Amino acid sequence: MSDSDLPVVLIVEDEPDVAETYKLWLQQEYEVRMAQNGDEGLEQLDADVDVVLLDRMMPGLSGDEVLERIRERDLGCRVAMVTAVEPDFDILEMGFDAYLSKPIRSEQLHETVDNLLDRSEYDSLLQEYYALVEKQATLEATKSSAELAESDQYDELSQRVAEMRDDLSETLGGIEDDSDFIATLRGLSDDEDN
Amino acid sequence: MYDLTSVLEFDALSEVRPGSSILISGPAMSGKERLAYDVLADGLRKGNGAVVVTTGDGAGSVVEEFRSLVPDLDDSQLGVIDCRGEGGTDEAAIGNAHAHHVSSPGDLTGIGIGITKALEGLHNAGNEQGRLALVSLSTMLTYTDKKTVFKFCHVLSSRLDSAGYIGVFTIDSGAHDDQTLQVIKQAFDGMIDVRDAEGGGREARVLGLAGEPTDWQDI
Repeated sequence: MSDSDLPVVLIVEDEPDVAETYKLWLQQEYEVRMAQNGDEGLEQLDADVDVVLLDRMMPGLSGDEVLERIRERDLGCRVAMVTAVEPDFDILEMGFDAYLSKPIRSEQLHETVDNLLDRSEYDSLLQEYYALVEKQATLEATKSSAELAESDQYDELSQRVAEMRDDLSETLGGIEDDSDFIATLRGLSDDEDN
Repeated sequence: MYDLTSVLEFDALSEVRPGSSILISGPAMSGKERLAYDVLADGLRKGNGAVVVTTGDGAGSVVEEFRSLVPDLDDSQLGVIDCRGEGGTDEAAIGNAHAHHVSSPGDLTGIGIGITKALEGLHNAGNEQGRLALVSLSTMLTYTDKKTVFKFCHVLSSRLDSAGYIGVFTIDSGAHDDQTLQVIKQAFDGMIDVRDAEGGGREARVLGLAGEPTDWQDI
């Protein structure tokens, strides 16, 4: 279990100064875990971790290898790749959810982590929305329209479905760009395996 | 706004808002896929881009099909995401269309990447408006559960909304239980119901897009 209710960010970075700087920036708002290499990162990783900041170039296991193992474990965490140069390949296809190129500014780091957490929130709202829709559908499939018209439960359910539909599209702004889109779909495939 | 009345003459289809996703539901062999392709072909004739996500036809044959539907087709206005997971790409048939192959109809991330690339390709080719067809959700439902398909449709609708596209998705109403159909319907802004008419031919009605459900009408 996590020690606090704060979201958990795992920093996997072999340069201690750089890792400390990220920690200083993040520790007010998040519970921060640190790992100096890929193996340590995988040890520190559990279901409580929400976001992983993963350095791509490290001695030992590379960032790509660590990512592959994270995805194999189906933990549902979001992974941002930290890289020295802007990647010239498709990070989405590789399985990363975002990337940050060095040097990273505090503001940028916060923005990326927040954005990745928002996606998790969207996932759980979608999950909740589905549960309501499924209940509503069960009533519709088993009761006559006259019975439905009489049912307060159905009425209330329909209202909540409509409200959540608005929440999903408005409050979170839906899917804004390609990396949001792919990361959210990747989340769906992960859920399915659980 | 998208005007679909030259495909189906319903007032409710005269001003379809960009970002709308429409479910085309009907029994097997009732022309759902034809209708979805007609919506895209109509768009291509009006200068819209078109994206087809197919679980049944190969990319090459989809491109050929659109070449026959739209004789002066510019390939670069068309994107195809072929989810059959079968090898063998007919490069000659695909031409300049944006084709992407996905390992299976259950590989949602792969489908998403394909759609992203197709949208990008169409955008670069100068398309600001476009239409996407997914044929069929019924096949997807045999690879993954209804919860995942529901969420997929929702997320995809949201992506189409930000692109200003409209989407049409087909489902075989005879292949799933009522509860599944009810759930899937909720992921859409509206629905076109298709069925065989009693005296032969086919009829359709439109639900949820504008005002009350329409009456059944011959198509």
